[in-house]
This record gives sequence, C-alpha cells and structure tokens, in this order.
Amino acid sequence: MTNDKPMNPLEMLAYVISKQINDHEVIYIGTGLPMVAAILAKKTHAPHITFVYESGGQDPEQLEMPWSVGGPMTWRKSPMIMEMAYSFGQAACGMVDKGFLGFAQIDMYGNANTHQIGTEFTNPKVRLTGSGGNNDVASLVDKLIYVGLQDQNKFAKKVDFITSAGWLDGGDSRKKAGLLNNGPVAVITSAGVYDFEPETHRMRINTLHPGVSPELAQLASGFELVRPQGAIPVTEAPSKEILQILRNEVDPSGIFISLPS
Amino acid sequence: MNFDYNQEALKNLKIEDTSLLDKLVDYRSAREAHLKKDHSQRDKRLSLQEAVSEYVQDGDIWCDSSFSYVRSAIQAWWEIIRQGKKNLQAIGSPNTNQTYGVLYGTVSHVHASYAGAEMRGIDKMFSRNVKNGKVKIVSDWSHGLMAQGFKAAQLGMPGCFSKQGLGSDIVNHNPYLKVMQNPMSKDSDPCVFVPALFPDVVVIHVNAADKYGNARFYGPAVNDIATAAASRKVIITAEEIVSNYDIRYHAKGAQIPFNNVDAVVELPFGAAPGYMPNEYYWMRYFWEKFFGWAAESDEKCKEFFDEWIMETKDINGLIEKVGGLEWVKKSRRRARAAEGNNETDGVSFVYKTWENGMGVKDID
Repeated sequence: MTNDKPMNPLEMLAYVISKQINDHEVIYIGTGLPMVAAILAKKTHAPHITFVYESGGQDPEQLEMPWSVGGPMTWRKSPMIMEMAYSFGQAACGMVDKGFLGFAQIDMYGNANTHQIGTEFTNPKVRLTGSGGNNDVASLVDKLIYVGLQDQNKFAKKVDFITSAGWLDGGDSRKKAGLLNNGPVAVITSAGVYDFEPETHRMRINTLHPGVSPELAQLASGFELVRPQGAIPVTEAPSKEILQILRNEVDPSGIFISLPS
Repeated sequence: MNFDYNQEALKNLKIEDTSLLDKLVDYRSAREAHLKKDHSQRDKRLSLQEAVSEYVQDGDIWCDSSFSYVRSAIQAWWEIIRQGKKNLQAIGSPNTNQTYGVLYGTVSHVHASYAGAEMRGIDKMFSRNVKNGKVKIVSDWSHGLMAQGFKAAQLGMPGCFSKQGLGSDIVNHNPYLKVMQNPMSKDSDPCVFVPALFPDVVVIHVNAADKYGNARFYGPAVNDIATAAASRKVIITAEEIVSNYDIRYHAKGAQIPFNNVDAVVELPFGAAPGYMPNEYYWMRYFWEKFFGWAAESDEKCKEFFDEWIMETKDINGLIEKVGGLEWVKKSRRRARAAEGNNETDGVSFVYKTWENGMGVKDID
C-alpha cells in the first residue's frame, strides 16, 4: 500500500533520530518515538543493532510497538532476559553504546528534568514521573541523545530539578562530578538537531529542519543557542521510500507517527 | 542501629523525625527477622485473606513487585486495600500501584522511583496527592539506584558504591544516598553510596510455586529475586501450585527459594488487571479508564476504584466484570501471540484510549 500524504513533523523526527544510530550498536531504548526510530534504523541502515530495556528485555523479536517497557513486546522471544540491576550494570560496564531519553525541561548544558515543575520538592507546581531509568541511562550509556518537542519552557534557562545529569555547569564539571561516560552528544527536537560545543559544552545548533530559521529556533528557547560558524545546514528529510517503510512496516497503526486529529 | 542520613536531603524533604526511615536500611534487624523464621520445608499454603491478614501490618514498608502492570501482585495489593491496612510506606521500581493505595489511606509515605503510565504520561492522581500532602515522598530514586539497593541486600552487603545519580538532584533528595570518594582511588573519584534496602513485606506473583514456596516465573524478574531475599516477610501468589517434583524437573525456571517465603497462595489471575507472562493480557479497559479518570479528579478515581476493588471482592468478580470466560479466552490467546508462542492471525494489539461512554467491550 502506498501512502503519499506529505511528511508530518513526527515522521521527520523519527527519521532524524534513526540517523543517530549506527549499525552494530547496542542501544538502551524506551517506548515512544525513539523506539519507532530504532526500528526504522534496523529496517534500513542499521540491521544489526541490539535493543536493551531497563525491565530486562533484550533483543526481542520485533512485532508491535510496546505499550510498556515491561511488556511482552520488549522480551518477545528474547535470547535472555536480565534483572533490572544487571540490565543497567551492563551499561556501567561499557557494553551499551547509546541511549535515548525524553525530557520535560532541558537546559543549555543538557541537564534534563522529568521530576517536577516548580523548584520546591515538597510543594511542586506539578510532580512529574520521577526518574525511572532516566538518570541511570544518562549516567551510564556511552553516548546520550535527548529527544523532544522544543519551546521556551522546555528549553529552560534553568531546569527545576536535575533528574539526568548532562554537562552540569559546562566545561569539565561533568568529569569532576565523577560521571563515567561521554554525556549528551545530541538533542533532537521539532526544530532541529543540536550538539554541544566541545569546550564549554553549551548546546549548539547543528542542523535545522526545513523551514526553521536560526531566529525561529532561538525564539523557541529559554537560553541562548550557540550558532556555528558559517551557514547552518538543513536537516536531511526522509526519502519517499523511507517514509513508506516508516508508515507501512514500522508503525502501521500510526501510534506514534500520526499527528493527533 | 543509629543511622547517619544525608542532611541536605532531610532538609529538602522536610523530614524531622528520621525514625520512620530506619527500618528500610536496618540490615541487622532484617537478618534477625529472617533468623527467627521457621526454616523448615513445610506446607505454607494459606488463603489470600489469611496471608494478607497475617503478614501485612499497618505501617509496614510494602514493596510493589515486578513492573507496574506486568506480573505485579495486584490482586494481593487489592486485598491489602480491602482489609483496610493503613499508613504503609510504598517502595518499588517502578511503584505504579501505590497511587490508588493513597486514596484509601493504605499508603502514606513513598520511596519514589517512577509514578506514571509510560506512553500515557504522568500519573496525575499521584501528582495531585503529592502536592496536597496526602502522600509524602521520603526518598527519591532512579530505577537503577533502587535496584542496586535491593541487589546489595540480596548479596548480603550493607551497601554498594554506584556511578549513577552523580551530579543530579536525586542525591540531594534521598536521605539514604551519599556522594563519597572511592576508597580504592588516590585520584578524585566520587561515587554514590547506596545502602542495602530491606522492605518489610513483598508479595510476588509467579507462574508456579510448590507448597514450600519455591517459585518460578517467566518474563522479566525486574527486582523480584532481590526483594524476595531482602524483605522481612514474603508472600508468593501463584497461578498454580505445583509439586516439588515439578519445580525440580523445571529447575531452570525456579527463581525464588522456599526459605525466602512465608506464605504461598494459589491465586489464578493474581496479576490481573495486569499482564501475566504466558497467561493473560492486560485488562486494557481498566487501565485506559483509570488513566482517563486520573486526569479528571480524585472523586472520579475513588468511584472507579470503589467499583473495581471494593465491589469486586475477589478475582471472580473482576473477571465477570470484564466478560467472564470470553475475556479469559481472548486474553490468553493475545498474551501467547504477543510472546510469539502462538500465531498472531486475528489477534489485535491496537491501542485505544478511553473516552467517556466507552464500555468494557469497546476496549477489551
């Protein structure tokens, strides 16, 4: 079945995230768009990647999008299922390459919050989910990639709670805090792809999605985005063939890649 | 024991009386409790009502088991709520099922790791109750840090050093965690000390157990092997009680040893309305409506849980509510197909969110 509707922003995001994944990598993955992206990567340029889940599932036979990271789609015919402590342990031991996380707020150094809106812990404006495995993934996987929508509140000058440590105060503060890994390497949003300036570790525009100007990206941020030297490249959009794979094979029910009507 | 908690965390959490924190990390008292038990291989079968009545006391640290709505011992948890147990401290990674315990005063304190519904977003009912003070978070965790605390307990260690949590605000909001220098390193090497964690009581739902408590289950163990060893009191609820020979014959699947266990309850559908590996699928209507109502108000939620927990009395009532044998048939087939143990032809995994007016048949 061909579906020639124009590409929507979620499909764009799924494709852009998928391009962050290299073949043969072991990746820590949750539900949602990163999962769609990882399956797309597996069906296109990275057929030999391995998925790992915090509940213990590992390398499941792919069937449908998982509803829960503890559910059967994360361990369907898995060669083995680990206990939670061991699942994170393998990331600590250096056997997991990448992880993908969402955020309610993220700051210029890639510190992310999924705990609360408001700074008073005992009386927050809104209590969010808490860490779950986010802090562990951010602390342990070799390279961390954030994924989310971008606006002035989400790209916050200061996050209300550091759930997942990014580059902390920039510079070498992350290393000084004793954290093991490379830290966040990319942030992928509805506006563009960001990386981190190597010395200061401030968030920097890498590419912007078609139709997004640097000014617009800056408007949708609560902190100043670093602009690279020279022209900013436009993020590569998926080909028609890739869109077909995404719509027909990866998420045929459109759970994650359809816009709410 | 006399504990030295993280002072900054105590301040941030506004905890003045630290005595309520002690039991969770008091490994000596957990060992004493384990030593006092009758260690014989004896018949430990009880009814669910008896087991909950005898082994769950007001004020206990109760541990949510497995993963939220996958193999969690939800029917035993509902019985704890029905029996009117009060002021439990809830712990677990994740700790999803605590949220409706708060409505009934069953849960008053929480060692928080994750409260939410993954794809469905945050748990708005829990969020409201944290804000209005009906429930108090007394320590804040990541899944991995809590898992290490349970694992340390199982391994018989007073605690362990972790590389998780560093640089985050979690370590400032958890009285049990401390950032410390690695004693083996001459260079600066901060680590997080995680004490071993000993809940008072955990109920673990399994596929099969013998009458002594040797238990086996399928799917992710999550933290259950560790918490079975750590907890002062352990209730096993099982889809099926099998012979000791059956456990020996399928030895690879035996994960919880009998000497961890105080009571064994034969309880088919004990994980419902959650998912049970190899047995049955989620009661999707229940969860979708709950998440829908959680966004609305506590009153709606209370009505909902009164209907589903209090009025169902036991598992028979619950299964009748969702369609009886028809549901059993469909649910078993769907679970086996999901796990790749049966064909997927004609089996639907389509997601639907609940909307006002939808009945059980609309989201089975």
